[in-house]
Amino acid sequence: MIKTYYGLAELHSPGALFLALMIGFFFGLSLERAGFGSSKRLSGIFYFRDMAVLKVMFTALLTAMFGLNMIIGLGLIDPATQIYFMPTYYGAYIVAGLIFGVGFVMSGWCPGTSAVGIASGKVDALVFFGGAIVGSILFNELFPVIKPLYTWGQSDQNSFGQPGLAFIYTSLGVSKAGFIKGFTLMAIGCFWGAEYIEGKRPEATGLKPFITPFFKSFSLCFLLIALSLSVFSDSKTGVLSATRVTTDSETHLLAQVEEAEDHMAPEVVAERLFQKDPSLRLVDVRPASEFLDFHIRGAENVTLPELPAYMSSIDPSQTVVLYSNGMTHPVQARDSLSRLGYGHVYIMTDGLTGFIEECLKPPSLRPYPLTPASMEQIRSWRNYFLASTKTPEQVGAESPSIPVGVPGLVDSVWLESRIGRDGLRIIDTREQSDYNRNHIPGSVALNVESVRSALEGVPSILLTGEILVSHVSLAGIAPSDRIVIIYGGDRVRDATLMAMALERIGHRDYAILNVGYEAWLADKRPMTTAFPDMSRTAYPLPSARDHFTVSADELLTQLKKAHVTVLDTRPREYYLGEKSDEARAGHIPGAINRSYKEDLIPTGLKSVQELEAAYHQLIPNKKETVIVHCRTGHQASQTFFVLKHLLGYQQVYWYDGGWTEWAARNDLPVQSGG
Amino acid sequence: MSMNTTSPKPYSNPYISGIFLGLTLLASFLILGAGLGASSGLARIGASIEGFVFPAHTAASEYFGKWGTSPMNYYLVHMLVGAFLGGLFSALYHARISIQVEKGKKSTVKQRLIMAGVGGVLVGFSSRLAAGCTSGQALTGGALLLTGSLVFLCCVFAGGYAAAYWVRRQWDD
Repeated sequence: MIKTYYGLAELHSPGALFLALMIGFFFGLSLERAGFGSSKRLSGIFYFRDMAVLKVMFTALLTAMFGLNMIIGLGLIDPATQIYFMPTYYGAYIVAGLIFGVGFVMSGWCPGTSAVGIASGKVDALVFFGGAIVGSILFNELFPVIKPLYTWGQSDQNSFGQPGLAFIYTSLGVSKAGFIKGFTLMAIGCFWGAEYIEGKRPEATGLKPFITPFFKSFSLCFLLIALSLSVFSDSKTGVLSATRVTTDSETHLLAQVEEAEDHMAPEVVAERLFQKDPSLRLVDVRPASEFLDFHIRGAENVTLPELPAYMSSIDPSQTVVLYSNGMTHPVQARDSLSRLGYGHVYIMTDGLTGFIEECLKPPSLRPYPLTPASMEQIRSWRNYFLASTKTPEQVGAESPSIPVGVPGLVDSVWLESRIGRDGLRIIDTREQSDYNRNHIPGSVALNVESVRSALEGVPSILLTGEILVSHVSLAGIAPSDRIVIIYGGDRVRDATLMAMALERIGHRDYAILNVGYEAWLADKRPMTTAFPDMSRTAYPLPSARDHFTVSADELLTQLKKAHVTVLDTRPREYYLGEKSDEARAGHIPGAINRSYKEDLIPTGLKSVQELEAAYHQLIPNKKETVIVHCRTGHQASQTFFVLKHLLGYQQVYWYDGGWTEWAARNDLPVQSGG
Repeated sequence: MSMNTTSPKPYSNPYISGIFLGLTLLASFLILGAGLGASSGLARIGASIEGFVFPAHTAASEYFGKWGTSPMNYYLVHMLVGAFLGGLFSALYHARISIQVEKGKKSTVKQRLIMAGVGGVLVGFSSRLAAGCTSGQALTGGALLLTGSLVFLCCVFAGGYAAAYWVRRQWDD
């Protein structure tokens, strides 16, 4: 498999920069060779004098497209991860294209050719180049005003999991191979037209008359290559046309149903999961709450309405197996997906019930004798599938009375049974409007924005203890209260930032609900629109500063010490410096990276067992000093909570100033890349 | 005035040149994982100039600010330098270097340079709006069969043909 510098996130490395220079050299060489060091020749296309631009451009485009599609078709490169694709913004590109065209015909240059023009001694190229620099600066200056235009009209296609990444064949609703054939034919038609136009006016161009033997063989050659690309099946070239509805697919579906080819036995699923087969994706279509109670290890939770979007986001060569408790929902989902053009979708025979019966039931409980080999297989499956998640027997048994270790997590059943009790306060960190729509009875709205602000010049810092106590006093919270914090969706970080505020004022008796509010609603648990009846309290001032927040200077002194780990919880691209919203890109030298997102599933945190395993890999020693940070302190508060309160790391600190402050201070060191 | 006494060689067959350019683009896909580009390098030169004159203002600006304090340390800047050197090599090799303002005989130098400069401003601006130019969007994105890039390509020709009549005088002989 080919790994590109982009795929390795090393486009900034010296090797990549040197190779970019070399590729640029051949780029310039090709342009000059084609005669694009002349504005007169370049502008010729607009007056039908000299069609070289069209010929060179389309020939190059087709050559690269043929080559790339063959290499993808042979499975030598994974386009989804190794190649950079630009998203489509219709509005922005149409406006930009029209302006560009006017600029192109006025000047006779475009950016690449002007570099070659300057090398050829063309003064007008140099003036163009200067103008284009001015135009770029102008864009930067106008950016605040034209920002909406810059992302105007994003395509609603989503390819390789990238929103707005649109392929022309999907936009047109045709197959990729079909589009390539049509496009090649069109290009060859243009070449013939161009030769015809130039041939009519040989005196004007001085070019050879049209239709030479070379030109005929060239046309034939391109046509044959375009036709031969069809040998690579659509699934290999990464294409699935989601819009195709044919009677063929319906017939195929019915044939599969007849042959029961659309079923996969639970034993087969179990073995492929156990072997960690990357081509298999097991999808649990049950509601999130059931999924969280118990699911097959390795399954993803995708509810029925989300399925088409999910299918378009995955690698089409993978096999998808659906399951639920029984068979009805997966069968309906499978039929619907098949009509949308997705093959490779199977149903697990007898659903979750069948899986537990066939694969997880202890041999001793089975009514029939087993061979030693199959007993061994069941034993290894049980070890694997029951290791990281609750066993089905435990579901329900442990739910109502979880002993609450605080700070920690509580579940919905625990919370529901305690609503309205004295001494229990619920803080809802969701948006004000969401809270107003409905909330858990007795809960009080306290948004994360009320606990952070700019402090001593640094934006987005957790407020001081004095201000925080006044906020919690107004919310009616007393030091003796047990607090449960609620978040929306997977915004665990909102709850954990609130937790940081509570810890700062010395309030340690709190827990976070282990699912987002939507899951609470989906379970039809109590909710209300009434505001709680409570009176303000006088929460005492904290006696000292908190013992977990570190400043930039304190962090700097710890950087080179052994047994100190700086953990950057921002998304990886920010850590690598490929993306940045701050003064400088990159990360704190020596920091390691685990994005806070990796700890999440759609409804909240991953299971403690999964988190334990992941962090054990990263920081095996729980006595190690860990300093977490992100951009503003928000995301890092989630990792802080996970490490300190769920996994029991003993020395966890929080650098609240985060990358915002670090990047802005030029006296602090920065590292970029991997 | 020609810098070379030998007469310039005629341009190569455009289809062969196109295949050569296409193979360069393919190499860029397979090695860098990204296609060819020119306008981004140009804009980063702009960001450096603006950053040199108004450092605080540029660092704080929303678009150039993202590129940090050393915007030139980027692969597309290197590619643009490479393109200049490759062009220089080929122009020397084919004896096509001559310092001149290319224009029609009836046009004046001043008219032609104003056209080139104003066109440059439009191209520089619109390349940023489309996040690419004829190289980075039309050619690269076209080869990747991206909808947006092909829409951009069509609009470039639409804009060009629409304006061609009004600026034709500069090429009149």
